[in-house]
Order: sequence, then C-alpha cells, then structure tokens
Amino acid sequence: MRVGIVGAGFMAQTHAAAWAKTPAEIAGIHSIDRESAKRLAGAYDTRTFDSVAALLRDVDVLDICAPTHLHHEMTLQAAATGKDIVCEKPLGRTLDQAREMIAACDKAGVKLLVGHVVRFFPQYALAKAAVDRGDVGKVGVVRLTRCSFQPRGTGGWFMDSEKSGGMMLDLMIHDFDYARWVAGEVESVFTRQVRSRHPDAPGDYALAILRHTNGAISNVEGGWAYPPPLFRTALEIAGDKGLIEHPASSSDPLEVHVQASGSGERPSVAAPSSPTTESPYDLEIRHFYDVLTGAVTTPRVTAADGLMALKIAFAAIESARTGKRVSLKEFA
Amino acid sequence: MRVGIMSFAHLHAEGYVYNLRAIPGVEIIGLADDNPVRAAYFSEHFGLRRFESYEALLAEKPDAVIVCSENARHLPLVKLAAAAGAHVLCEKPLATTVADAQAIIDVCQAAGVQLMTAFPMRFSPPVMEVKKLVDSGQLGPVYGCNSTNQGSLPRAHQAAGMPDLGRDWFVNKALAGGGAVADHVVHLADLLRWMLQSEVVEVFAETNQVFYGDEVEVETGGLVMLTFANGTFASIDCSWSKPPYYPTWGGLKMELVGENGLAIVDAFKQTITLYNEAEGRPRWLPWGSDANQGMVAAFLDAVRENRTPAITGFDGYQAVAIVAAAYQSAATGKPVAL
Repeated sequence: MRVGIVGAGFMAQTHAAAWAKTPAEIAGIHSIDRESAKRLAGAYDTRTFDSVAALLRDVDVLDICAPTHLHHEMTLQAAATGKDIVCEKPLGRTLDQAREMIAACDKAGVKLLVGHVVRFFPQYALAKAAVDRGDVGKVGVVRLTRCSFQPRGTGGWFMDSEKSGGMMLDLMIHDFDYARWVAGEVESVFTRQVRSRHPDAPGDYALAILRHTNGAISNVEGGWAYPPPLFRTALEIAGDKGLIEHPASSSDPLEVHVQASGSGERPSVAAPSSPTTESPYDLEIRHFYDVLTGAVTTPRVTAADGLMALKIAFAAIESARTGKRVSLKEFA
Repeated sequence: MRVGIMSFAHLHAEGYVYNLRAIPGVEIIGLADDNPVRAAYFSEHFGLRRFESYEALLAEKPDAVIVCSENARHLPLVKLAAAAGAHVLCEKPLATTVADAQAIIDVCQAAGVQLMTAFPMRFSPPVMEVKKLVDSGQLGPVYGCNSTNQGSLPRAHQAAGMPDLGRDWFVNKALAGGGAVADHVVHLADLLRWMLQSEVVEVFAETNQVFYGDEVEVETGGLVMLTFANGTFASIDCSWSKPPYYPTWGGLKMELVGENGLAIVDAFKQTITLYNEAEGRPRWLPWGSDANQGMVAAFLDAVRENRTPAITGFDGYQAVAIVAAAYQSAATGKPVAL
C-alpha cells in the first residue's frame, strides 16, 4: 500500500511517524510549505510532489492532513481517481462539503476514514468499552474537557475561522464525537462561547450542554484560552450503576496557570502525551491500515460519524450565536 | 452570646454544634425540633437542653438562632425567631420559592434582626484564595467557569446505628423544593456572584432522572448554565452522580478560565486516602479547614456588632431565584432571563 500525505505540519508529521510503523509505504508528500515537505520527505526517505494531482498518480491512499477548508476539494480529487482517503477531522468545513465528500466516495467505491483520534486514546477507548459492557449501567451525566493554548498552523489557519471553522469545529468536535459515541445520539445543544475581548489576548472558550435522545446529558468544555504550554483533557461518565473518572488535575486543592509575560517558544499545536508503547495516532493509523487492506471490515469511526460530529458542532456554534437551545433536527 | 438551634432536620446542624462550642463566649442554650426522635437523639448525643417547642426555646430569649429545618419550613421558623428578636443564620437554600425567600427577608427586616444565609463555601480557605486571585486581576477578566458540586444521593444522611431521624426529605419535592438542582446549584451560584461581582441575567438547565430514577421523585442529574451581566458564563453540574461506594460524599470544584490563564479550585481535595479492610473500598479522609467554622464565627461577629453579615438574605434570595429559573428552563427547554 502506497500512501501519499498532504500537509507537512504537526499532524502530517505525526501520521508519517505512524504510517512508518505499518507495512505501508509513504510514497510521497505534498505541501504548499515546500521546505517542511522536503524535511518530512527526507525523514522518511520519500519524495515531494508539487500538487495533489501529481501525488495521486503515484499512491493508493491519500492521507489529508491539510487545513480543514481544503478537505473537501482534495477528497473529491482523490475519489475521482479511485483512491481511498484518510482525512483529518473535522471531515469538512461545512455540512454540505461533508455530505458531498461522503457521496463522492460512495459513488467512486472508495473508503473515507476520518481521524477522530480521541476514539483511539487508550483511556477513552477503555472508558467506552467499560460503558458498553455495562460497568456504569445507564449513562446519566458525561463530562468532557479539552482546553489548550492557541494553536499555530501554517499561515495561522487555525485562527482563521473561514479555514478552520473555529475552536468548536476544530477542537470541541473531538468530544462531541466522543459524547455521542458513549451516550448515544444527540438531540439538542446549548452553548455559551467567548472570543478574545481584544486582539492581543488569547481566547476562545466555550461550554456546551448536550441532551442525548436517551435522556443522558453531557457537559463539554473546550478552549484555546490557556497560557502555553498548558493542555488539559478530562473525562467523567456517571451512570446509575457506576462512575468512571479520568480527571485532568493534580492532587493539589489549588492550581494556577497564569500567562507569563514575554513567554518564549511554545509548541505549535497541543497534543496530550502519556507514554504508551503505541501512541493513539499509531493505533489510529494502524487501524486505518487494517481497514484499508480489508483485514478489519468495520472502522471504529465512520465518515457518517464524522458527519454527525460536524452536525453537533454546527448546532453548538448556532446555539452560541443565537443564545437558544438548538435541536439537531435542524441539521438533518 | 446565647444561641439556640431550631431543628436538626438538616445534618449541618450537627457540625454547627461543634462550631459554636469552639467559639469562646458562646453558649448553646439548647435545641428544639418538631421531630421528637431527632430532638431526643441530639439532645442526648450532644448533652443539649431540649425544649418542647420552638416557642419555648425562643422564650429563653437567645441572641441568635440557627435554622436547620427542612428547606420548605425555613419561613415559619424564621418568622418565630424574628418575632422573638433573635438574629438568624438560616441553612441554604434560603427557601423553596422566591416568594418565601422574600418573606424571610421581609420579616427579619421588619423585626430588626440580622439574617445570614448559610453559604459556608465563601469561608473555604482554598476558595478564598481563588477569590483573592480573581480580585487581584492576575487571572484577567474571567471568560467562563466549568464547575461541579456533585454529591451522592442525600436520602438518609445518618450513620448506621442511629434511629430514624426523618432525614429522607432531601428527595421530597415539597420539603426540599426539588432534587439535585435545589440542593447543589446554590453554593456555586453564590460563589460565582461573589467572585465575579456580577448578577446572573440568564439561566439554562437540562435535568434528568437516570440515577435512582425508580427510587425518588425528583431530578437526580442536572447541568445548569448561568450567564452573568458582565458576560461571563458558567456551567454547574449539580448531579447526585457520586455513587454510594465513592471514596467521599462528593465535592465542589471550579475551573475559572480568564484572559490570562486558568485557576482551578477543588474545595474538598485536602484529603488522605484510606484503604481499610473492613470497608473494602478506598475512602478520602478530609484534613482541610472547616469552612463552617469561619461562617458561624462571621455570623456571631455580625450579631455582636449588630451589622449586616457578610452573606445576606439577598444573597440567599438570588440563589433561590436562580434555582427557580433553572427549573423553568428545564421544563421549557429555553433559557430564562432573570
């Protein structure tokens, strides 16, 4: 299997490292950032391509690690040439884009796998498995947190809402997907959000309350508002027969993280790290490899799941805008 | 200073006995309780004089009383106390309805007695530290707060070997005013008003009955979103989601995200973990300072100096109004303006 990677930033580097641990061959890299593409290609003894079209001619699978607003066009290009696709989350920049991507891949008979990597984090996967085998009984209240500092993509694309869709679409979507995975379909969303109050301040912070169709409720916290390099995630699932906790905090009663003035270098993107033999990204890409070869028939996360996560995210964004509870039916 | 305790329906009354006894110059004149089992048990347990009625206790002219009845019975007891000229520390929530909360304020004002709502968390040292941090401006303007005041089902609140103390009212809608929302929204609502120095302008709530759904008549799970006049928003998880085999009763936690950073306070985190063979499960034993002690001392100081206490009847009223709005929102699916 020959894999072509689009992008050369943090996620492309992470995926390349993971592909290198599978029997697949990294057949090429394409990025508008030619220097980074060259460096990445050098690290994996492969070559760079000047365009997605050129890359597609030489691969079996296209792995899209490009900014969100480009997912749609690249997926359609790959599908048109009959290539399977691995696409970073969120699946598309808009719901229409995502629907069109799914339809195009269905029509072309190619696979479309979406990188909701949280489903591959061992603690999240274990919690899901525990819920599925009834360890907590019926799920009542889910609490999910995912907050970091402002990420810096090439050309600042994360901060450009036209390109990334903003914090809720890029970051909170992880936990919208996870909440739906463990507690079932989402019926409605109520959100409050604040954007930075002046240009120099970091800040995009939101709280969302989801109601699931089975009666469960979820509190989802997301933010690009912490001082770097702080990144916290937390997970709690309470049911009528048990409780799962995976807190973020230390054992101190008080924790304060305040922006240092004139802070120097910081990472471009926050990624949680907890040493394990295989990273969650390795597990994700290995799983995708197995799905692409046919060794595994049902992907852990489908393009339809990616579309549903997008719907929840857009409902959350709509709720923040209107101040009202938004029903998912409006995004049918 | 002579203090009486009116009802032991709320378990906090027990703690207040220790708090009062720890303050020099304070005499507990005794207790009265309309539940004779409770009256007998606690008068014996603490060696306190038992009065046959609230009126009999008040006839002894205490300087102040602490009201620890069922939530819905605060108003009649406060009326009696105010009429007798006794200053009042009233357990939270101040009342089960906005009208009752207003009536409590009015009777105290008319009688010229001080009224304090028992919001002890304002006296929790870790919480006070965060309040200082917010006040210092170090955190910058507060964007939002993710907070929890979860607990276990407060059905009985009594240890093995005690007689039936009639403390199952926490899950009785009429007496408690509701379930998890009435029980656990008020502390955080009050702390946030205090820290942000801003009033709540809108309330949204989702509730459910997944925990103990077939055992109690009230909501046991709840997520509430408060929006403040200054634009800050906060979610409160008030659920009774901590199972009976959890290492502790629950807790109170706030994660404040400001323009300059993050402050997290876990008010009951000062614990050691005990693994005990007989219990068969770990338990968290607290070693933090007792917030109630500071609150009771502040109340008695206010009484002694005849000035408005640090936490007023209005603070209690605002919390009750927020709870009422949360129930309205949960019923309608819409945010409710205050």
